[in-house]
Amino acid sequence: MKSTTINRLESLLDTSRLAGSLTRSWTDQPGRPGVSTGLPELDAAMGGGWRLGEISEVVGARSTGRTAVLVATLAAGTGRGELAALVDAWDRFDPVSAAAAGVDLGRVLWVRGPALTVELARPVVLQQAVQRAIRAFDLIVRAGGFGVVALDVAGAPPRALQALPFTTWMRLAHANEGRQTVGLLVAESPLGRSARGACVQLAAAPRWIGTSPQSRRFDGFHLRADVRIDLKHLSINQSINQSIDQSIR
Amino acid sequence: MFCCLVSDPSSPVVPGALEAVARACSPRVERQGDAGIAFDARGLARVIGPPPEIAREVGRVAAGHGLIVRVALAGTTTTAWLLAHARIGVTIVPPGEDAAALAPLPLGWLGALTEPAEGRRPKATGGSGTEQQASGTRDSSRRLARARNYRIAPGPEVGPALQVQSSHLGPTAFGLRPDLQDALAIFERWGLRTLGDLARLRRADLHARLGPLGVRLHQAASGEDTAPLVPIEELHRFVNRLDLEWPIDGLEPLSFVLARQCEALSASLERADRGAVAVTTRLRLVTRVDHTRTLQLPAPIRDARTLRTLVLLDLESHPPPAAIDVVELELDVAPGLIVQGTLLARALPSPDDVATLTSRLCALMGDTRVGAPALVDTHDERRSTMTTFLGDTRPPPSLVRASAGKQGPSAGSREAAKTATFTPCLRRYRLSLAVTVEVERGRPTTVRSTARGIPSGDVVNVAGPWRTSGRWWAPGDGRWDRDEWDVELVDGGCYRLVRDRLTGRWEIEGEMD
Repeated sequence: MKSTTINRLESLLDTSRLAGSLTRSWTDQPGRPGVSTGLPELDAAMGGGWRLGEISEVVGARSTGRTAVLVATLAAGTGRGELAALVDAWDRFDPVSAAAAGVDLGRVLWVRGPALTVELARPVVLQQAVQRAIRAFDLIVRAGGFGVVALDVAGAPPRALQALPFTTWMRLAHANEGRQTVGLLVAESPLGRSARGACVQLAAAPRWIGTSPQSRRFDGFHLRADVRIDLKHLSINQSINQSIDQSIR
Repeated sequence: MFCCLVSDPSSPVVPGALEAVARACSPRVERQGDAGIAFDARGLARVIGPPPEIAREVGRVAAGHGLIVRVALAGTTTTAWLLAHARIGVTIVPPGEDAAALAPLPLGWLGALTEPAEGRRPKATGGSGTEQQASGTRDSSRRLARARNYRIAPGPEVGPALQVQSSHLGPTAFGLRPDLQDALAIFERWGLRTLGDLARLRRADLHARLGPLGVRLHQAASGEDTAPLVPIEELHRFVNRLDLEWPIDGLEPLSFVLARQCEALSASLERADRGAVAVTTRLRLVTRVDHTRTLQLPAPIRDARTLRTLVLLDLESHPPPAAIDVVELELDVAPGLIVQGTLLARALPSPDDVATLTSRLCALMGDTRVGAPALVDTHDERRSTMTTFLGDTRPPPSLVRASAGKQGPSAGSREAAKTATFTPCLRRYRLSLAVTVEVERGRPTTVRSTARGIPSGDVVNVAGPWRTSGRWWAPGDGRWDRDEWDVELVDGGCYRLVRDRLTGRWEIEGEMD
């Protein structure tokens, strides 16, 4: 039970838009609505879905369903009539797959980074591309009015991301604070290092059907998602298992 | 009360000056032919004074434009129009005395009505316009022929009489229509000399003999209007030009100049209830070269700050190569956008905000890197395109379906959740990664690459091939013919592997994620 003084102090900081300096657990804000991820099990594990006004992360290695979670979130957002924005740092978004997943493409602002082969590009080029993508993400978040704003830097070499000042993510989180926007980072490892937002760590096993070479088909992933909400006083770890049934063929 | 202005024959011809005089007095102006104009003078008494004062003010404004005009003020446009043609100087008709003022005028002045009568002829309610016109002409000829045979009294020939009446601005100057000439000739034969004579006849009798034309002429002779004054829209160019005393070098000082110009233009747009849909920026440089940029806006915008930001962002992307001497902004305009919000969906960013954001992003990432993804009508899945992002304001299909079926919002939400299927997606490599593939019995078994970081290893699972081809009918122009494989490598990564059947080259097109 918090004292009246603490409550008053928090409301004063809220009024001054300095609530970011507070560390609150999700259990302190039971009434805050969540925004659907498009995956009911993940929504349940996160207590309703992505939180508005926070920057959450979807992390995982290659072929673990990061893009699928991102696209499902975009589809759910555009399905509700919201606008969504995707900052695609390496220009790897595939509109055909997204449309098949139910994304209303007319409601998506697609900001494409340079079309380069990340694995072969020089570090300086990668560094510039990451910085531009973060700047674009910041512009969109500050413009407001978008339901979902995502930054996809999956595939970036760790060095390119580690070279960023540690305040970068805190600044982005502060920019999104108080807005009716879900901020989403897609990467291979946790980036935000922030006291806010959820981190969904994905692991997946590909699923194949058919026994003969002729009938063999890729049938999606068996997905495992670990939801982690790290706070100073609280750590929630929940795991879900979900199969991504639908093959893209 | 209406006022008509007609250029005096002795006046110099200044294009547009007559309209400028009328607009200086009233916003409701109607052009009547090439040499005349009418405007609504109601309410001017409170601003200028009684009708003589209004006429004097109009004359003074006309003199300021270098014109000599005939001015007539009357209760109807028709009366004012006929009197402005018939009388030199200023004519003022007291209220309710229109017919009396017109009565002494010779019939020949009805020729001045030619163009207004044409322009104000009521539209036919059925049939095509050409058919109606043709049948109307036939009808009129038939009635005129009957009227000629039904002479009341023989009169003098119309030609000489009209020439006498048109001593200073005769009816022959109006280029009379043949049917009107016929009608005037008939009036002459009937012994009618003035508009008063015509006005005293019964309108029904005239209609029986001359048809609608007879009625129209009778109405004109009585000083009656057949249609209200239809104001013409003022053609306004939204241009702001500033000649600088000292050349400006750099965009920062230019932003102050642009702010001033955009504020002036924004005020003009506000007054005209218009929004800018395109901005043309012309910069005259010190090298005597014009640097011109045209910016298409996604929606009509009239906010000065937004306009300035958009122009500046555009110039940041395409800066002028030298210092600037003259700055000129010209706007293409459209009616202002009226947006109806909805209570069922969250508020979306305004078109101004979307335009500003996309311009900022274009300046940051490049013009071709920002937009809304769009599909291309082709079987080649590699091809997609981008369109201008407008911030689609249509209600989502789920809400439309819910309201159409009279279901609650929860039904719409359920529908939205249902459509958001969880589909594995392809992360497409725009620059395909060339790899070496070992094949056994026609199926890939190992993927090898010389570069670090490129997926490689033994193939654990494979499905395919799916063969696609296209544009084979246009050799060398986007033709493709390829086999696609879904493969899982030993590291757990799933990829789309492609073999180009034209070159035999293997590539990784993307990863399943």
